[in-house]
Amino acid sequence: MAACVKKLDKCIFNLRLLRNLQLQNERYLSTSVLRLSAGTNDKFVPPSKPVIVDKTQTTASLRKFLSPEFVPPRQRTNPLKFFMERKDMIQRRKVIQIPEFYVGSILAVTTADSTANGKSSRFVGICVQRGGKGLGATFILRNIIDNQGVEICYELYSPLIQAVEVLKLEKRLDDNLMYLRDALPEYSTVDPDMKPLPISHSGEVPVNEIKVKMRPKPWSKRWERPKFDIKGINFELALTPEKMERAQKWAEPWNEFDMLREYDTSELEEKIFKEVQQEMNK
Amino acid sequence: MAAWSCRFVLQRGVRLMCPRTAAESPTQLLGCIRTVKTTTWFDEHLTEDNQEYMRKSMGEEYRNQTAAKLNPLKDEPWERHEWTEGSRRVGLVAVKLGMAPIWTKTGERHVATMLQVQDCHVIRYLSKDEYDGKTAALLVGGKNASPFHKSEENMEMCREAGVPPKQKVTTFKVSDNAIIKPGTPLYAAHFRPGQYVDVTAKSIGKGFQGVMKRWGFKGQPATHGQTKTHRRPGASGPGGDPAKVFKGKKMPGRMGNTYITAHGLKIWRVNTRYNVLYVNGSVPGHRNCLLKVRDTVLPTRISTLQNPPFPTYFADGDEDLDEDLYDDDLFTHTDSSLTIT
Repeated sequence: MAACVKKLDKCIFNLRLLRNLQLQNERYLSTSVLRLSAGTNDKFVPPSKPVIVDKTQTTASLRKFLSPEFVPPRQRTNPLKFFMERKDMIQRRKVIQIPEFYVGSILAVTTADSTANGKSSRFVGICVQRGGKGLGATFILRNIIDNQGVEICYELYSPLIQAVEVLKLEKRLDDNLMYLRDALPEYSTVDPDMKPLPISHSGEVPVNEIKVKMRPKPWSKRWERPKFDIKGINFELALTPEKMERAQKWAEPWNEFDMLREYDTSELEEKIFKEVQQEMNK
Repeated sequence: MAAWSCRFVLQRGVRLMCPRTAAESPTQLLGCIRTVKTTTWFDEHLTEDNQEYMRKSMGEEYRNQTAAKLNPLKDEPWERHEWTEGSRRVGLVAVKLGMAPIWTKTGERHVATMLQVQDCHVIRYLSKDEYDGKTAALLVGGKNASPFHKSEENMEMCREAGVPPKQKVTTFKVSDNAIIKPGTPLYAAHFRPGQYVDVTAKSIGKGFQGVMKRWGFKGQPATHGQTKTHRRPGASGPGGDPAKVFKGKKMPGRMGNTYITAHGLKIWRVNTRYNVLYVNGSVPGHRNCLLKVRDTVLPTRISTLQNPPFPTYFADGDEDLDEDLYDDDLFTHTDSSLTIT
């Protein structure tokens, strides 16, 4: 009897150790403990039901985020025009959930497509560019399918879009990733059957500080020129220091002091954010 | 004020230079002297505070007048007639807001121009004899303007109608049964989704342009031995027999800044609260320009005008309208996403 008790003691100690080691796998541990206790105590206690939290499910983000197409461009247009567009955009957002995403995030878009089997198609890719303001806002997804680069431009508010899903939420060093066309294909390849990664709804959006390797020149654009101001390319591998030096010839350092180019939207954004929140909660 | 001071300085200068001749005839020496105008303007004897007060109070008054739809009608409104085939209604004066995309229920994307009908009023009725002896006409004005820079005739006309002075006043030919009493406000609901309209406006001025941009000539090739001949018009006509350039020959010159009509544009949507029309495609003119919108004259499209509000839409509550009127084919953003079967 004493030996049996000793063994049991050991067993429980081991289990405690194990528990410390694998905290995540609680279900396995709890059942085994229960089974052990059942050995000593004849009563059967059913295991507690595991609570499954789907972390990929899109819930309201806690961080303050206003989609960039809500901010009107700088021009002499009657603000009523943007207000009317905003009303339509909010109405559309009430019907279909358009999540928060950035250039560099990986998205899956389902659209109605008359040429596809089943009349709808799903495309997974990395968001390369966001364009347009108001109802005409667009974004471009890029992927490499069968060794062929594919880019699709979607309209954010088109009724043909059935779902927009964020598979991986992150930012990149640049606001425009068009240079991926000239980069090695692995940087724009995304698995079409990718499972959504968990998204944190608070704190800052993670920035992927990857620097891509480029294919040899010629590129579609001279990305080393200062007007593109690209940080996400590993230029050391592609260009000699002399060439990088030479690209600085096109620098326009006076532009940052040009007060006419300044367009401070922070106040405007604040106002629009409030309006959008109010309308969305109605 | 400017004219006066200019003249004063000039005369002074002349006197200083040659006092004898100047005393006799200062104007003969200086042929370019500006004429003395007898006009005065409202802020000549006002302090800056008073000017500002005047502007503000007038603006406020006019805004209230249009907001309250206060039209001091001296007598009863005119008799309303029934819509008959072939009658011609008034049009509207609208402001171009800009363009926005719209989608149909089949998922097709179109672009529409948003036109806002802003403080649009009927200002004057011209009977057949007063106008041209053939049809009656109505003067319609849009967008309230400052009264301080309007001519007295203009102000008088607006005062008679009991409306603020307008930035743009246009004439619409109307049939005899479609006349409206001056002072009546016009709204965007005058037009209904599905009907077709013509839009007239002054196009954007392009300045002096060559023949390729102005008339779409082909120009000449860039290479293959061309010397200084790439965008030139080429020959301007046969020599020899006519021995002249025919009249109306397309040549370089001023382009744009003329009145242009875009015919047969469909109305997709009407917002009755903010008085905004969504018109298919593009219309002439720049952003915020004032344009003239009327029922189309195209014989193939005229049949879309079935039982319109006649002679216009009156906002006195005899017809209850939704905030947004949509065309039957138009996708509304409250609907769920489209699925193709």
